[in-house]
Amino acid sequence: MTEIRSGKRFLDGLCVLVVEDEAIISFLLEDMLGELGAADVRHAGNVRTALAFLEAHTPDLAVLDVNLGGERVYPVAERLEAKGVTFVFTTGYGKGGIDARWSARPVVQKPFNVEAMTQALRALLPAR
Amino acid sequence: MGTVLTNCGLIVSGSKGYAGTNLPLWRLTISSRVCCRQFSGAWMSNSADFSKDRAPPVASLALERIVRSPAALVENLPIGIYTCDRDGLLVQFNRRAAALWGLTPVTGDERFRFCGAFKSFERDGAQIAADRSPMAQVLAGGQPIRDREMMIETEDGNRLTILANVDPLFDEHGNLVGGVNCFQDISELVNMRRDMREGRRLGRRVMEALPAALYTTDAEGKLLYFNKAAEQLWGFKPTLGEQYWCGSWKIFWPDGTFVPHDQCPMAVALKEKRALIGPEAVAERPDGTRVPFMPHPTPIFDSSGTMIGAVNMLIDLTEQKRANAQQRGLIDELNHRVKNTLATIQALAAQTMRGAKNEGAKDFENRLLTLSRVHDQLSRHSWEWADFAIIAQQTFAPLRGSANSNAHLVGPSVPLSPKTALALAMVLRELAANAEKYGALSTPAGSLTLTWHVADSRLLLDWREQGGPSVGKPRKRGFGTRLLERSIAEELRGVARIDYAAAGVHCTMEIPLPE
Repeated sequence: MTEIRSGKRFLDGLCVLVVEDEAIISFLLEDMLGELGAADVRHAGNVRTALAFLEAHTPDLAVLDVNLGGERVYPVAERLEAKGVTFVFTTGYGKGGIDARWSARPVVQKPFNVEAMTQALRALLPAR
Repeated sequence: MGTVLTNCGLIVSGSKGYAGTNLPLWRLTISSRVCCRQFSGAWMSNSADFSKDRAPPVASLALERIVRSPAALVENLPIGIYTCDRDGLLVQFNRRAAALWGLTPVTGDERFRFCGAFKSFERDGAQIAADRSPMAQVLAGGQPIRDREMMIETEDGNRLTILANVDPLFDEHGNLVGGVNCFQDISELVNMRRDMREGRRLGRRVMEALPAALYTTDAEGKLLYFNKAAEQLWGFKPTLGEQYWCGSWKIFWPDGTFVPHDQCPMAVALKEKRALIGPEAVAERPDGTRVPFMPHPTPIFDSSGTMIGAVNMLIDLTEQKRANAQQRGLIDELNHRVKNTLATIQALAAQTMRGAKNEGAKDFENRLLTLSRVHDQLSRHSWEWADFAIIAQQTFAPLRGSANSNAHLVGPSVPLSPKTALALAMVLRELAANAEKYGALSTPAGSLTLTWHVADSRLLLDWREQGGPSVGKPRKRGFGTRLLERSIAEELRGVARIDYAAAGVHCTMEIPLPE
C-alpha cells in the first residue's frame, strides 16, 4: 500500500513540515514522506507549534491540514509564503473548504492515498 | 303647476292641484321620460313617448286605462308616496307606502300628522318626533329635502331604513298647499353597504395583521396601500400616490446589479398583466441595510377583465437564508467529520497493513476512497442527489496511463438518489478494478466504453470491454459479482447482466430512477 517504486525518492534529503492534528493521519504522512526520500519530517499538531518551529527553521516544503481541531492553519500558510516555502493543503471539506485567499494552492482531498499525495507533491517540485 | 322631480327619477306634474277629497287626486301627465338611476351610477333612459296626445301604438285597454289615469300608476309604483296638506294631515298615500308603514292610516287622522309610520328614528337610533320629521320641516320651510336616510318602525317592532325625498307643493299663486314624500326601502342597500364597508375594513385589517409585507398599486403602478410589515421591510414609509411600482428605497438583484423601480418584478407583472413568483431580489433601506426578499406581484382584474391594479407580497428571506447557511454549515461540518473518520480509517489501515504488499490492502483502500468520493458529491448537494456522470468519471480518475486513457465515457448528467449513487459507485469501481487487473484495461491495446442514457425513468448502462486478454467466467464469485447482484437487483430493484465473453466483459444494468 505504501509501496514506492524505485527511483521515485524525489524528496531525497529534504525537510518537510507536516501540520496535522490527527495522530494516525500524521503517522501515515510521516511514513509516506519518509519513503519518498524525505530526510527530516517534522510534525506540528497545531498552529502555535508550527509557528514556533518556523521561527528557527525553514523546511523545503509543507503539508498543511486546513482544520486543526477547529483552528485554521492559515497563519502557518502566511508564514510559509513569507519564507518562500511551497506547500499543499489537505482537507476533508473539499475545494470549497479553503478560503478564497488560498484557492490557487494545491489541495489534496482527505482521505488520500499515496498516489494522490505523491502526485500533489511532485507538482510542487517540478525540477526533481 | 308644480313639478316634482323625485329621487327615483319619475317626473310628475300636477295639472290642477288637489281638491281635498279622499279620492285619488293624481291629475298627472307622465312625462315622456322615465329615468332609473342604476347602482353603477350610469343613467338609463327610456324615451318612449306616452304623452296623452299620442296613444301608444299597441296598448291593451287595461294599460291605456293606467296610462290615462296616473293615479292608478302611482298606486302601483314600487316606492311609497304620500301627500300631506298644509297642516301635515295625510291626504293620500299609495299601496307601497302603507306596506312600508305596516298599517293603513285614515286620511286626515290627527294621529298621523306628517307621516303614516308608527315611529321614526334617525340612523343613529334617536327617535324623531312627528313635528321634527322631514315632512314637517318641508311644510315649515318650503324647501325640499333630498335623500334623507332614516328608519321607520312598524307596530310589531320591525325596522326599515328608508330614503325619503320630500317636496313642497304650491298652488298656481305660489302658496304652499302641502307636501309630497317619496320614500323607498333601502334596508337591503344599507346592509349591503355596511357589509361592503366591513368587508373592506376586514380586508384592510387582515392585510395589516399579516406578517408578510403587502402593498397595492393602481394599474399604472402608483402605490395605493402598504402594510406595517412592508414598511418594516423597506425601512421607511414611502409617500402614497407618489412612488411607483414598489415602496423599496433601492432594489438590487442578488448579484448586486441595481434594479430601476420600473424594471422591478411588480413593474414587469403590471406590464405583462400576469402574476409572477420571484425572481428573488434585495431591498436596500435608507440606512444601507439590505433585505433579500421574494416578491409575488399579482395583477388584479375587474369582472370585465380590465386590470385595475396589483397586489404584491414580499417574503423576507433573511431568516430563511440564515437558516440555510446554518444548515449548510452543519452539513459541511458533518461531512468534514465523516471525511476525517474515513481518512483516519484509511490511515489506520495503511499503518496496519504496512509492508503487506497484498491486493487486499490495495482494494480496501480503493473501496474506501470510492465511498469517500461519492460522499463528497452527495455533500455538495445537501445529501439529496449526486450526478452519475461525475461518479462515472471518478471511477476512472485514479487509474493511470492507458488504463485511464482507454476508458471512454459517453452519457448525460443524471441525478441519482444517495442510495443509488453509493451502490452504483461501488459496483463501477469493482468492474473497473477487474478491468484494470484482468480485463481490457490491463493492456494498452484494450479499451472500455461505458455508455448510459435514461429511458422510461430508468438509467440504462452498457459496460463493454474490447481488445483485452480473453476472459472467462471467474471460478469463484468475487466481491464485485456479489455486489453487482445484490445491490443492483435487490437494493435498487434493477436488473444487471454480466457476460464474460471471450472478446471482453459486457455488462448491462437497468436502474429505476425516482419520477
